Amino acid sequence: MAFIELKDIKKTYQLGKTQVPALKGVDLQVERGEFTVVMGPSGSGKTTLLNIIGLLDRADEGSSYRLDGEELGGRDFNEMAGLRNRKIGFIFQSFNLIPVLNVVENVEFPCLLRKEDRGILRKRVLTLAGDVGLEPYLHHKPDELSGGQRQRVAIARALATQPEIVLADEPTANLDSVTSEQILDLMQRLNESRGVTFLFSTHDPRIMKRARRVVRLADGKLVEGNGNGSSGAELPGQASAALEAR
Amino acid sequence: MWTLLAMAWRNVRRNRRRTLITLAAMVVGVGAVIAVRGVLNGLQAGIIRTSAEGQLGALQVHRAGYLDNILSTPLTMDFPVEPALLDRLRDVQGVRAVSPRIQFAGSIAKSVPAEEELPEALFFTALAVDPKTEPAVCPLRKDAYLDGTRFDDAHLVLGSALAESLAAKVDDEVVLLAPDKDGSLNGEVARVGGSMHALLPGEPKVAVVPLALAQRLLRMEGRATELAVAVDDLRDIDAVKPRLAEALGPEWEVHTWLEVVPERQLIMRLQDGVSAIVSVVFLVLMLLGVANTTLMAVLERTREVGTMLSLGLTRAQVMALFLLEALVLGALGATGGLLLASGFVARFAHGGLQFRAPGATQPFDVLPFLTLPFTLVVLAVAVLGSVLFALYPARRASRLRPVEALAGR
Repeated sequence: MAFIELKDIKKTYQLGKTQVPALKGVDLQVERGEFTVVMGPSGSGKTTLLNIIGLLDRADEGSSYRLDGEELGGRDFNEMAGLRNRKIGFIFQSFNLIPVLNVVENVEFPCLLRKEDRGILRKRVLTLAGDVGLEPYLHHKPDELSGGQRQRVAIARALATQPEIVLADEPTANLDSVTSEQILDLMQRLNESRGVTFLFSTHDPRIMKRARRVVRLADGKLVEGNGNGSSGAELPGQASAALEAR
Repeated sequence: MWTLLAMAWRNVRRNRRRTLITLAAMVVGVGAVIAVRGVLNGLQAGIIRTSAEGQLGALQVHRAGYLDNILSTPLTMDFPVEPALLDRLRDVQGVRAVSPRIQFAGSIAKSVPAEEELPEALFFTALAVDPKTEPAVCPLRKDAYLDGTRFDDAHLVLGSALAESLAAKVDDEVVLLAPDKDGSLNGEVARVGGSMHALLPGEPKVAVVPLALAQRLLRMEGRATELAVAVDDLRDIDAVKPRLAEALGPEWEVHTWLEVVPERQLIMRLQDGVSAIVSVVFLVLMLLGVANTTLMAVLERTREVGTMLSLGLTRAQVMALFLLEALVLGALGATGGLLLASGFVARFAHGGLQFRAPGATQPFDVLPFLTLPFTLVVLAVAVLGSVLFALYPARRASRLRPVEALAGR
């Protein structure tokens, strides 16, 4: 059984009187520990797919989403919030740090929602902050950090809850090329050392090159890399070639 | 919860200008409501003290039916002032002092040498009191006397308006004319001991006359129409009244000073009512400011709410965060308002605020003071009301869909 198992995922948005289909029946399986990229042009449904996997949005009736063997359809908001908090880490394009919290507080914020020993938590957060190179900035507020530093905080925050999967929506889109490389190095290292599953949506060819698997969305459907992660994986080279050919 | 409270505190400090404007409105609102009540407390305490200890006496005892007949035949309901009667009253628990009085009306004229033209006689109302026992019942009465005024068995005190009309000076001789209870007109000569201000509204042409002189004038030797009673504690008059009534029996009536001058009670109730309405309006306007500030915060921080929801905050936790921010604002505003009002009250607690009642010839000092129950209610309304008024924006934040909130919608 795959770690993430999506079957016939559909999502239609109602815009006034118009129905706009965003996903038209996506089947996708992701194995534990994968470093997977979802690519596709704007409007292809990448963000919608990540939102559904991240339990930020619900798929339409008839869709099936299993995470770690557990069917997630029909959960109420607070159950989904609990699952997000325990199992999923998020990295956003605009970093989305809480402005009033400093680096350490931002990283430990999602963990504070649980009843966890503060001492143990602080120790883990400091280790994590060290791992992402934030040691000198522990008590800085987000507006005192560069873009790259902020995204490091976001990565540390995504990992602080010890999630099973990290979802990253265009994580390098707001970073320069050198910083993007550093951030990608960091995420790849964390993927390998911690075995955390990473799932990206991106246009960035550098991420394609590093991905063990690339799936491609077009017009709300999965057109490449469909099916089981291990059997249907594409080579990074092929993915980047496909992208560069566009 | 501590994390949310710490965040709430920092969020309140985040948009300092907006927070300061909201806080200023709250401080002024809470401060004004508490301070105005403090001034009213002082004013009403002044009215109560002046009425009960300077004019009327805390309680008044009359023959049954006296107050109903006061305009027609007050003198016919007189009684002998016997030591046994006074002792019966003094023995009642809570009674401090008793003094006999007569209220009557007559005319007064300045006495002139025989060769001069008779001056015009003026109608006046008089309160005849015993110069020896009255000060124990109405110790504040002398505060209304002008400097140098004498009041004894030979000297009467004229109200300043009456003294002015008569052009009477200290030690001038005056002639009092009044009908006794049979209707016969009698006269007595007295000397002016001085004049007095009216601190509260009332009949402008009044005089305080020594009781013995009035008894001679009205042919009521050894008799009175009223017993003024002072109590140990003014707050207990409603408890002392039935005890007095029981000790005296059904031939007598006992009234508190408020029952004798119900219009003063009406005025104080009116003051309470108007101040309550103004307070509610002030507090509601102030709380709408808190609601507006919270709504602005929610609208500005929609993406942040989306982030928090995506990190796993429950709807209740998001709501709690915004309610805590309103709570912090409310608590700061209430504290500031309390300090402002306390400062104002402390500044004037020992004098400096004067109030002139309509019809009074002299203002009296209002000494504002705060009472704990009212102050606590205002503070609680400010703090809890802030939370209540923030419910709508906080609920709105908590109902955001994470995807839309993350997109800032």
